[in-house]
Amino acid sequence: MRRLSLSSRLALLFAACTAVVSLFAGVLFNRASEAHFIELDQQQLDGKLIGLRHALQDLQPVQREARLADELSRQADLSLRITGTDGQRWYDSSTQTPKDLPQQSGLSTISHDGTDYRVLNAPLYPDEADSPQLTLLLDITHHQHFLQRMQHLIWLTVGLSALATALLGAWAAGSGLRPLRRMSAVARGISAQSLNARLPEAQMPPELAEMAHSFNAMLARLDDSFQRLSAFSADIAHELRTPLSNLLTHTQVTLTRPRPIEDYREALHSNLEELQWMAQLVNDMLYLAKADHGLLMPKREPLELADETDVLLEFFAPLAEDAGVRLSREGHARIEGDRSMLRRALSNLLDNALRFTPAEGYVSLRIVDQASAVRISVENSGEGISAQLLPRLFDRFYRADPARQEGSSEHAGLGLAITQSIIRAHGGQIHCESEAGWTRFVIELPRT
Amino acid sequence: MKLLIVEDQAKTGQYLRQGLTEAGFNTELVADGNSGQQLALSGDYALLILDVMLPGRSGWQILQAVRSAGLDTPVLFLTAKDAVEDRVHGLEIGADDYLVKPFAFSELLARVRSLLRRGSATTQETSLQLADLRLDLIRRRVERSGQRIDLTAKEFALLEMLLRRQGEVLPKSLIASQVWDMNFDSDTNVIEVAIRRLRLKIDDEFPNKLIHTVRGMGYVLEERGA
Repeated sequence: MRRLSLSSRLALLFAACTAVVSLFAGVLFNRASEAHFIELDQQQLDGKLIGLRHALQDLQPVQREARLADELSRQADLSLRITGTDGQRWYDSSTQTPKDLPQQSGLSTISHDGTDYRVLNAPLYPDEADSPQLTLLLDITHHQHFLQRMQHLIWLTVGLSALATALLGAWAAGSGLRPLRRMSAVARGISAQSLNARLPEAQMPPELAEMAHSFNAMLARLDDSFQRLSAFSADIAHELRTPLSNLLTHTQVTLTRPRPIEDYREALHSNLEELQWMAQLVNDMLYLAKADHGLLMPKREPLELADETDVLLEFFAPLAEDAGVRLSREGHARIEGDRSMLRRALSNLLDNALRFTPAEGYVSLRIVDQASAVRISVENSGEGISAQLLPRLFDRFYRADPARQEGSSEHAGLGLAITQSIIRAHGGQIHCESEAGWTRFVIELPRT
Repeated sequence: MKLLIVEDQAKTGQYLRQGLTEAGFNTELVADGNSGQQLALSGDYALLILDVMLPGRSGWQILQAVRSAGLDTPVLFLTAKDAVEDRVHGLEIGADDYLVKPFAFSELLARVRSLLRRGSATTQETSLQLADLRLDLIRRRVERSGQRIDLTAKEFALLEMLLRRQGEVLPKSLIASQVWDMNFDSDTNVIEVAIRRLRLKIDDEFPNKLIHTVRGMGYVLEERGA
């Protein structure tokens, strides 16, 4: 079944509302007119009644007939019937009026042969218990015609106003829903190349502003991820280009003319270094790709963090001693996690810290056992990292030190990204804080 | 000592055979799973080096056939896949070791030697020696030319490894894994520093140097003519 559009739904609802309201108003008006006519008729008949009683009281019986005819001739739509106490009809001014009339006293309405009458029954002598009855009949066909016309008019109004509001409603709903269409137009126009399109939130009606805000936030997230992803691809190409061009150049130059064997050996060694660097880069990227695809599945081994970190400190001890850096650990906690992954994560942090710590400085590892999480921080002395660089530290290929030469056999800048992936695979978080004089990486691992 | 390589990529296979042959192993190379399995089942080999993805028959299938034939030939897998399930699967069906491409040849060579050594009974040595360097495993002492040298525990372990595998080029990753139990690719230069510090104690005062750097490959402990 085809679903109705919002505009059609709204238009139909508007039309239905208008129809109900105008119908109600019409019925009310019709009733009121009818009541008004009844009142008018009652007054008219009452007046007549009084006149007739008066006439019949004063006159001699001989004169009565003439007087009555005279009295009635002044009003064509009025007829009179007088019934005696014995039920005999004494007088009847018209032969076309119905024979059987309601007997109850007071005003009533009857219909006979397509003609409507208002009938008033009253005693001729109101003071006497047993009195002949006067019956006045008033032809009210013209009133009824008027009411019928009114009814037709009402139906017509109901129909037309419903139609009009349906059309107006459709137009109003259509223009009211314009922001939605704008939203859909923006959504339609979005592709990988135009993720920077945004909806004008300020111009949106309040009902849609929140939705527009969520929509924009979604676009921003997509844009950011996409930017990072494409930057990553570009960076990979860029990182590989330098060693590749070195390899090409060096190999071709070496082969251009015969050389002593030592030169070939040297060329191969140089190539080997480039190749090892590239192999490391590819392995690191594969590791990150695995993490991105959720394939990094940490084991859940019970670990004593103090022991694990001490093993790492022992590993880094020669490096620290060499650099004249104090390396220390405090605190302990038990946790469930993947030993080799966590070692890798922490070793990246320690390696990083040692690289940026000046002689006579310190690198301290602190484990804090908290109620719901375990906090591991690696802090080193030395120049801090400026606040605007902090969020970018975990980006792939990001290097805090722009002076580092690309393609050198040093680090590819994936270490912190790998650490972050490992911590996230453990359900944890990592961030970096820094002030002048120190830098601290903080890992928070949930207690399982 | 015969080794069998089953590798369908022609270049990879050739270079592996060349490298292993030059390292002193009698090496045979086939490029498809079916003939690989046939040869492996002959039982003539001391070690199998298998690629996982092979035409005809996968490395896993060859391994299963070998194991169900009752052979306990050590098997080293070369794989381009690095999925955890792959490792688990391989270890479950009886693989002995793994190398994920791209790997360094020095790493492969060191692992091949480890696997081959695993089978042979290790003699209970009490001391290790090379030229005038002597390492006493019981008293945990090191002497060179009769001069006592003080080493830290890790330096001792490092020297012990170098001595036990003297003449072999040991890649940094293998040293990190054997001495410090760090089993991951790390681009840290801890090993370089550790070797330098060990050299300072073992070699610096002596004209006859024993620890040598093999550029781009690792370190080797051996006596070389002055």
